[in-house]
Amino acid sequence: MGALGKLFIIFAVLVIFVGYRLNNLLQPSPPPKLEEKWWGRGDPAGEDKSIRTFKVHVADEVLKDLKYRLSHARPFTPPLEGIQQQYGMNTNLLKEIVDFWTTKYNWREREKLFNQYPQYLTSIQGLDIHYIHVKPKGTNLKVVPLLMLHGWPGSVREFFDVIPLLTTPQTDKNFVFEVIVAAIPGYGFSQPAVRPGLSPAHAAMIFKNLMKRLGFDRFYIQGGDFGAIILQNLAVLYPEVVLGFHSNMCTVYTPLSYLKTMVGAVWPTLFTKAEHVERVYPLWESFVHRLRETGYLHLQATKPDTLGVALNDSPVGLAAYILEKFTTGTNISHQSREDGGLKQYYDYADLLDNVMLYWITGSMPTAVRLYSETFNKNFMSLGTGRMPVQVPSACARFRNDFYTSDGLLKEIFPNLLHLSDHEGGHFAAFQVPDVFSRDVFVAIEKFENFNSNLGAKA
Amino acid sequence: MSYACLIVTAIVVIILLKLVNKIRNLFKIPAVPYLEETWWGPRDKSEEDDSIKPFTINISDEVIEDLQHRLKKARPFIPPLEGIQQQYGLNTNLLNKIVEFWRTEYNWKERETFLNKFPQFVVSVQGLRLHYIHVKPENPEGRKVLPLLLLHGWPGSVREFYDIIPMLTTPRPGCNFVFEVIAPSLPGYGFSEAAVRPGLGAIQAALLFKNLMIKLGFPKFYIQGGDWGAIIIHHMGTLFPEQILGLHSNMCSVNSLKSNIKLFFYSFWPTLLVSPEHVHKIYPRLAKLANLVLETGYMHLQATKPDTVGVALNDSPVGLAAYIIEKFITWTNPAWKELEDGGLTKKYTYTALLDNVMIYWITNSITTSMRLYAETMSAANRTLQVDSIPVTVPTAAARFTYDLTYSPTVLLKEKFQNIVHASDYDAGHFAAFEEPKILSDDIFTAVEKMELFHKNQHSS
Repeated sequence: MGALGKLFIIFAVLVIFVGYRLNNLLQPSPPPKLEEKWWGRGDPAGEDKSIRTFKVHVADEVLKDLKYRLSHARPFTPPLEGIQQQYGMNTNLLKEIVDFWTTKYNWREREKLFNQYPQYLTSIQGLDIHYIHVKPKGTNLKVVPLLMLHGWPGSVREFFDVIPLLTTPQTDKNFVFEVIVAAIPGYGFSQPAVRPGLSPAHAAMIFKNLMKRLGFDRFYIQGGDFGAIILQNLAVLYPEVVLGFHSNMCTVYTPLSYLKTMVGAVWPTLFTKAEHVERVYPLWESFVHRLRETGYLHLQATKPDTLGVALNDSPVGLAAYILEKFTTGTNISHQSREDGGLKQYYDYADLLDNVMLYWITGSMPTAVRLYSETFNKNFMSLGTGRMPVQVPSACARFRNDFYTSDGLLKEIFPNLLHLSDHEGGHFAAFQVPDVFSRDVFVAIEKFENFNSNLGAKA
Repeated sequence: MSYACLIVTAIVVIILLKLVNKIRNLFKIPAVPYLEETWWGPRDKSEEDDSIKPFTINISDEVIEDLQHRLKKARPFIPPLEGIQQQYGLNTNLLNKIVEFWRTEYNWKERETFLNKFPQFVVSVQGLRLHYIHVKPENPEGRKVLPLLLLHGWPGSVREFYDIIPMLTTPRPGCNFVFEVIAPSLPGYGFSEAAVRPGLGAIQAALLFKNLMIKLGFPKFYIQGGDWGAIIIHHMGTLFPEQILGLHSNMCSVNSLKSNIKLFFYSFWPTLLVSPEHVHKIYPRLAKLANLVLETGYMHLQATKPDTVGVALNDSPVGLAAYIIEKFITWTNPAWKELEDGGLTKKYTYTALLDNVMIYWITNSITTSMRLYAETMSAANRTLQVDSIPVTVPTAAARFTYDLTYSPTVLLKEKFQNIVHASDYDAGHFAAFEEPKILSDDIFTAVEKMELFHKNQHSS
């Protein structure tokens, strides 16, 4: 690295260090106390607190309208010569997917797939929350509750292969899961807020209240993407209800972590495992890569309502926007493949199930609002993202997902009982359900041991 | 002095020299790059027809019927959040009004006749069939006729110039010249063909338009633009000074390392930089930068994944309208973000706004229009560093208060070294569309000074 580069690093380190000292003073602030808000219409006094069974059933008109839109989609702009996914979704690939969608994808069959699991709706703070609730069948093993949350542009659909694995006893584990897979407010069949402010912190409160409604005073939590962010907030705000937190997207965004990352530029193995150094450094490359892949985030964090109109009115447009994430999010190298690498790990039918969930519920516009509710002064000044998670934690790192170095994790996860590395990408539960479920079992076993030791000491 | 001292001094001097060289490199002015005359179009060079063909917009009934159907069947919009106007993006209560108008009152056949009022042509340049309006003054009344290339930006079109073109091509009392206007559609926009291969950024577009003007018989000409039009004409000024008689920009800006350092230091004494009434347009820096972050999500997405978002925008007319019209709110006056109706009717009609949207819709050009962001911000184009090369041709900067950025003349001079005219107006980004009279008056005033500059050059 050049002299100028080193000078810049030293200067930046000094600036961040001074800022850190002034700002943080080593004592983490206590978690804020949030006001319980009413997010829906109507009178809180008249809220129906019952748990209602739910089945997905889409009206024929919706399917007919969808078919019409698919077969009358305006011709796609062909990709530029020699380009695969570098300008975004390759429309030759999109054409193949849309052809499948129009001619082979059978919603009524897929609907049965959706309805294989018991689903429910219940109103929490004015919003109907949709969730799947699966209990293990006839077992003598200890049954532990596990709340699982998806992210964007995912849905409860990502967990369909994982649910049977988690609710089936393992030969070497003395417990099994009872799984609650919920939809974030504004996603799928969970109602959206009618007023601004439903940040990940408030979503965490809603899910704490959901689990309370279901009779769980303490439970395990698992999430990736926004699911991980919301559950991290839950663990920080309500540690008393969290038995343990398993995340497949552990991220650390504290001033000290930035300092460490910059110092690591001159001494990479100080905070990062030798074999993982190439995932973080050179810093400039990581930064440029991040910049190239976060246009959607920037737009959704600022003008979600503008973007939402087109995405909710054009199914091919919605599919392009969502499925682009399944190409690069699974493996960034898929950007140079005309087929986007999709067929290597997924079936088009499974991918379209997820797209359909956004389409039939018209929830993309409200889903993208979550970004605006997250990336703003109000939520970020709460500081929950910079507070350590005291409950037992597990980080499952998947090779092609965002990466956080070992040396940084302990700042947010001081009670990290399990850290693992696996092949796979951002949509881990969807892409590699076996590896994913196994990791959850292994992590929760460690949590169980930790918790019972705590109990023994008490 | 001991040997140790000598050695340490030598090392420090060497490091300093290396640093000085590195720092000097940061401020070095790069050479004007050589630009390849890339063939951008789908056809073979041998089969390309070079002639200029007249062009008329003539959209089939099917396209209009399909549009009507889509408008009628638009899926219901999600209502805005309680207490929110435009802060989360285009307010869908407003969008409902606009779409209702579009469906029931907007008459495409009438608008088509309106859009065809100016003579239009198509000619192939570097393999791309470029569309342009060409209006000569009807009766110059003895005035000198000056060719003026007018370039639009995103999400605009030639439609923005329909009010200003007659003002520019009509002789004025007391002025001894009048303009002959050439207003093309940018490549990949409206009725101009789009490149089939990657690489057509703003720099390459500058070459394309220089070639267009030469092909039309104008070895020297004036240029005017805003948004991408401004960026392209700045490059034309840099790259082809022999052809450019003068450039008038309504989005002059400079974003060099030097100017940013100066901006930081001037923050301690802003009135050294600009007169007091302009200080709020530049400072506080952090607030201005925060606002830029708030308003550039679209740019970030289009510079990286234009083909992804383009699918939805090209398939949903209401979605396209929302995406485009949002800019006419925030960039005309940011205060309009607090209005549920977006303030649009204060300066525009729904008809005029929809004319512009229709140009994107009927030509399926939204995706290719957005690719200009990706092409210009590509590593390949950035390494050319054309932004850092000064413009020495006579320049006029017309600054509009509510535009995205404000650059004071003192800083502009770093890049635009021959500013003959600079002015400030209280209006927004779409100057020609919003205030055609203000802009045309400014253009005439500026070019008068430029003509004088050329006269003096020749006599000296």
